[in-house]
Amino acid sequence: MNDFTPVLLIAGKDIRQELRSRAITVATLFFAAITLVILAFAVGSDEAILTQIAPGALWVALAFAGVISAAQSYAAEGEENAFEQLLLYPIPRASIYLGKLISNWVYMGFLALILLPTTAVLFDLPLGSHRGALLLTLALGTLGFALIATFYAALTANLRARDSLLPVLMFPVVVPILLAAVRATTSLMQFGNLEMASDWIQLLAGFDLAYLVVCTAIFRFVVDE
Amino acid sequence: MSSDRTTTHPLRPRPLWLNLLAAASLLLVGAGFYLGLVVSPPDVNQGELIRIMYAHVSAAWVCFLAVIIAAVYGMLYLWKGRPMDDVRGTAHAELATIFAGLTIIGGMTYSKPTLNTFWTWDAKLTLTALLFALLVGYFVVRGLIDDRDRRARVSAVVAIIVLASLPFNWMAAEWFRTLHPAKSFDVSASGVSDSADPIFRWILLFNVFAVAVTYVWFSIERIRIGRAQVGLEEQRETTPVTMREAIDV
Amino acid sequence: MNESPPAVQLDGLARRYGRDMVLSEVSLTIREGRIVVLQGPNGAGKTTLLKVLATRLRPSRGSARVFGFDTVREAHEVRSRTAMLPVFGGSYPTLTGAENLELATRLYGLRLTPSELEAALANVGLAGAAQKQVRGYSSGMKKRLGLARLRMAPAKLWLLDEPYAALDEEGKAYVDALLDEARSTGKTVLLASHEPERVAPLADAVLEVSGGTVRRSERFGVPATPVQAVPVRGG
Repeated sequence: MNDFTPVLLIAGKDIRQELRSRAITVATLFFAAITLVILAFAVGSDEAILTQIAPGALWVALAFAGVISAAQSYAAEGEENAFEQLLLYPIPRASIYLGKLISNWVYMGFLALILLPTTAVLFDLPLGSHRGALLLTLALGTLGFALIATFYAALTANLRARDSLLPVLMFPVVVPILLAAVRATTSLMQFGNLEMASDWIQLLAGFDLAYLVVCTAIFRFVVDE
Repeated sequence: MSSDRTTTHPLRPRPLWLNLLAAASLLLVGAGFYLGLVVSPPDVNQGELIRIMYAHVSAAWVCFLAVIIAAVYGMLYLWKGRPMDDVRGTAHAELATIFAGLTIIGGMTYSKPTLNTFWTWDAKLTLTALLFALLVGYFVVRGLIDDRDRRARVSAVVAIIVLASLPFNWMAAEWFRTLHPAKSFDVSASGVSDSADPIFRWILLFNVFAVAVTYVWFSIERIRIGRAQVGLEEQRETTPVTMREAIDV
Repeated sequence: MNESPPAVQLDGLARRYGRDMVLSEVSLTIREGRIVVLQGPNGAGKTTLLKVLATRLRPSRGSARVFGFDTVREAHEVRSRTAMLPVFGGSYPTLTGAENLELATRLYGLRLTPSELEAALANVGLAGAAQKQVRGYSSGMKKRLGLARLRMAPAKLWLLDEPYAALDEEGKAYVDALLDEARSTGKTVLLASHEPERVAPLADAVLEVSGGTVRRSERFGVPATPVQAVPVRGG
């Protein structure tokens, strides 16, 4: 068996489950949308300020939703003790991480694709002309969140107080992602400045690469008991 | 084999050199205080506030050193599985937390008279605050895991993640600065500008050394206690030999 | 000629659960092809023992070897030689029985055709439910799905945790058939049960797990020698 086969099997299984149950979609989509609306209300009706905070609001909503989706994806594993079984197959533990990473990334990417136009409308900020770079920012930013969320959600899955623990552990790690993604989005949408964005996009890519290596290498110690 | 250990007191007798190290640490810190508070002239730009820098920068450097060492012991634990590496890693993580707290307090103390606010989103202060949050997370996780092998493994993993996050948080904090007080002090690596009188630099380095020695002393004391704890736990778990029976089917 | 290593070898095995030792100092050797019953009250450590052998739990002290492979350092080797039937669960509720079995077999590195999957499910009496989502299954049906998964695993050591629990008479007969199959194919079986009367006659030995240790059962004085010829396998 190819080493990547189990990764795809696990990701495919997660996505199929989600298409059936919509558990994560229901839990995150409306939550993220409400977060955006509340942020818009909190800021007030000054359109200049709304436009200014739009990228921040988008990524805060995505970050919160990402925590919930990662936690939910392990909750689905725990429902019938399926995760216990998953750990007994003769597959590398890293493939479990990578499989769940892919599915979490797909959810977050899907969420981002819905939230981006929503933000554009709610906060009155046009998407701008650098659509390709914007998509790349969304892809790398959501990957960064998914990397850390998938990792820490496995760590907290069987701890007490896991629901509040996950964001507490994860947010200090993803601050660079949040910052870089917001800055890149701002540069692209607000100023249409690709050059300014590219530094931040590079930071996103570097973060993703580093944590992909680190998390994949040490994931097995997280699930070992 | 472990039955030998059950009869001995888990805390080993205190060696003489440890007392000497303790005395040396106190002397060095005292001398550092004297140099910083009395000998050092006021800085051209910062005035008397330079004296805060000596303590603040020393704490910050030692804090980062402790984070690195904690993560190194984490890796060693994952590699070898020796309980003492967990004890050592935790000891350094505890000290990293304390020094991160001191760094934040130092930064706030400095910030109040210069910028008239206790909190600025200065790069290094932001970085230290994030680090503090990460380290608190480390101890929250430790507190939630009862099985000590799993606790050690998960702690090691978190320590490695904390270390991995440092360069990215540093970059983010560095690039995030919007309120950077550009003229009030020079945020070069030391916080003490190169162009100034070399005496500032020497006093700073002396203070860093004094704090580093104190850190080493604290870590040794903490590891001694940790070793005793491990010994006690092992004693408690040792089963009487009479219960052992080998079965062959 | 080298004698092949025993199927299970526990050496001073101890395992903590939380802060308490559930198992302490278990030394046990089980030769290949034996069917061994672990009996004992709830919480005695039967499941813990099985999970250590399945590589799910690491020994707190001592070591566990399966066919000569260490369950921690050579976990992958152990996993490709063992299969465990959990007390309950192990399946994804929103996938159908057939999808669950397909996922399991593919993760075992096998590729089964839809008709083979159907046949495997029919074998445990789930023919009609193969295309239904598992969340609609009764606990007995979920257990049967677990049995189907176990049979498909390319394993030489079966770890069965309360296999009869939740099953009706028909389901229990499937477990009996499974044990017969194990006997005829030379598989090693470790079966945990708190009501061992049903399996004791089929087993080579009954061990009692209690107080953190394992002893030969006095209630079931089954001889330690194999009941009948165990196929001798090389390597």
